[in-house]
Amino acid sequence: MKNKFVSIVAGALLAFPLLAQAAPLKIGFINSITGKEAQIGENLTNGATMAIEDLKAKGIQVELIKEDDGGDPKNALAAYEKLVTRDGVIGVVGPYTSGCANVVASRADQYQVPLLVPAAAKEEITMKGYKNVFRLNAPANVYSKVLMDAVKAYKPKTIAYVYAATDFGVSTVKTAQENALKMGLREVANEKYQQGQPDYRSSLSKVKAANPDLVFLVSYDADAILLMRQAKEIGLTPKAFLGAGAGYTTAQFSQQTEISNLVVSATQWTDDVNWTGAADFGRRYKAKYAKEPSYHAACAYEAMRIMVETASRNNTSANLRAALKAGSWNGIFGPVKFASYGGFTNQNNHSMLVQQIQSGKYETVYPAQFSKKKLVYPFKR
Amino acid sequence: MSFLQPLISGILTGGVYALAGIGMSLVFGVMNISNFAHGDLMMLGMYLAFFSFTLLHIDPYISLVLIIPIAFMFGYMMEKVFINRVIHHPHQNQILLTVGLGLIMSNTALLAFTSDPKILTTTYSSSAFNLFGDISVSVPLLLSFLITCLITVILYLFLSKTATGMALRATSQNREAAQLMGINVAKMSAIAFGIGTALAATAGALIAPTYYIHPLAGHSFLLKAFTICVLGGLGSVVGAGVGGIIIGVVEAMSSTYLSSDWKDVIVFVIFLAVLLFRPQGLFGKKGGQ
Repeated sequence: MKNKFVSIVAGALLAFPLLAQAAPLKIGFINSITGKEAQIGENLTNGATMAIEDLKAKGIQVELIKEDDGGDPKNALAAYEKLVTRDGVIGVVGPYTSGCANVVASRADQYQVPLLVPAAAKEEITMKGYKNVFRLNAPANVYSKVLMDAVKAYKPKTIAYVYAATDFGVSTVKTAQENALKMGLREVANEKYQQGQPDYRSSLSKVKAANPDLVFLVSYDADAILLMRQAKEIGLTPKAFLGAGAGYTTAQFSQQTEISNLVVSATQWTDDVNWTGAADFGRRYKAKYAKEPSYHAACAYEAMRIMVETASRNNTSANLRAALKAGSWNGIFGPVKFASYGGFTNQNNHSMLVQQIQSGKYETVYPAQFSKKKLVYPFKR
Repeated sequence: MSFLQPLISGILTGGVYALAGIGMSLVFGVMNISNFAHGDLMMLGMYLAFFSFTLLHIDPYISLVLIIPIAFMFGYMMEKVFINRVIHHPHQNQILLTVGLGLIMSNTALLAFTSDPKILTTTYSSSAFNLFGDISVSVPLLLSFLITCLITVILYLFLSKTATGMALRATSQNREAAQLMGINVAKMSAIAFGIGTALAATAGALIAPTYYIHPLAGHSFLLKAFTICVLGGLGSVVGAGVGGIIIGVVEAMSSTYLSSDWKDVIVFVIFLAVLLFRPQGLFGKKGGQ
């Protein structure tokens, strides 16, 4: 009996290193789990978690090492360096914010470990020719482009900008100004604000005094609600509110029907789009987390799926990089291919969607081939 | 656009800043402690208002009747258990303790309430009325301001007319002398910290209907409260009140006439100028700390 036990233990000990070697796939995930962007970070965590579970069901085992950057580029860089030097991951998904992703991207070529950015919008990230940086989502210029395309038919004449003084805010507005110039829109107000302030009334009053046709907004989560509340309070009523991503695309925002109705926003993803598995992902997400998936969740899901699936067939960073560059995918995020075009390197030319909140629900309204509802224009309270 | 619009919204927002500043200043005056957990105490007030609104269906302004005594007791206990142990220690120990307590509170809130910002939507959250035709005045902000004024008047009467209030001021003026005169300074410290906490929580509850509620929401107000205290003169209740209004108006004016990007720059330039020409603050005692 005792001998039998010893032999079992010895057998187990011998088998263990073999087992451990059989699952050496290590992938890093940098995300804003705490800090100002934590709410959106949670959506990314949920999406990535679902991807890992789905891959497990398909028999792909992966050790995911999660790091928190707290929304701070300094921490994001430290996290990336820890992942590649101490943990020995062969690929990294993340970070979420533009500021963090941009800093980490600048070091990826130094460590030669591929970085797949799931949802950061700053254009520069994939414009510097980095070989190890890939981006799934559409960059900031597409946010403003698709929004302006959606309202082009109604011939607006003037535009005002209200945006957070962050990387995402400033870069989105910069390209929006270029797009507006091409459309012949005249800029009548430009208000950059510091996040987390209780009072935006003065800035909004200035915008109201300029009486613009379009108000173009860039804000992260709760600021969007604050701004729209105060806009209603002071009676700012343009022909359309255009919200570029982030704060204007959350379920919480749409539930504030009094202030959010008819706000138009650009998004990377919706669950009523006809991409493979998008609707199914939306249903499963709602069942699991009891809330609507934001586009961030879909970005993180698809980025994680692509990274892990590709890495499972290519066990070194160099092979992984080549496979990401050569491959193409089709899933909940539509067709994905990392290509070089118009100054971008390894950038997925993603087609963005325009949605409008109609009685508390996000409805896809543009481009026409993806949408069931029509845009309501002009805006009315 | 009218000059009055930023002036009015600045004064109204400044009122809430003032309330946060007064609590901090009172604690500093009586105990000579800079309370870096002040912002997190404000955050607790926001959550108290939020939960009494969503669970008990009490209007956030009426819930103050509950929040003020709860926060007072919380502050009183906190002083008894933690703060009084460092009252005679060097400033860096006190700062470490209060920063630590603040971190514990905000991170506990993060675990308990998650990082999803909560929005307290009342029927009047985004309502306003017009003054002189084109100046809009936010209803919740005006209510907050009136409540702030009321509380400040009550606090003033308490400090100047009651025996406890006079004992508090005596402790603030000279701790040793007050003790020699038979004042229980340990008790005064606990009372001051309780009142400070109650004022912070009140400021939090007052801003809750127009702001969002988040475990880290207190941090941006901590810096403001601290600036207001130093601007008005550390320990001066009147100074903190005036300082709050000044900061509110300067912010509103600079975002109207320059850009909201510049408002912090202007606030801190004024702050530095005051420190340079009047190091004791606008209403501070000369030769004080």
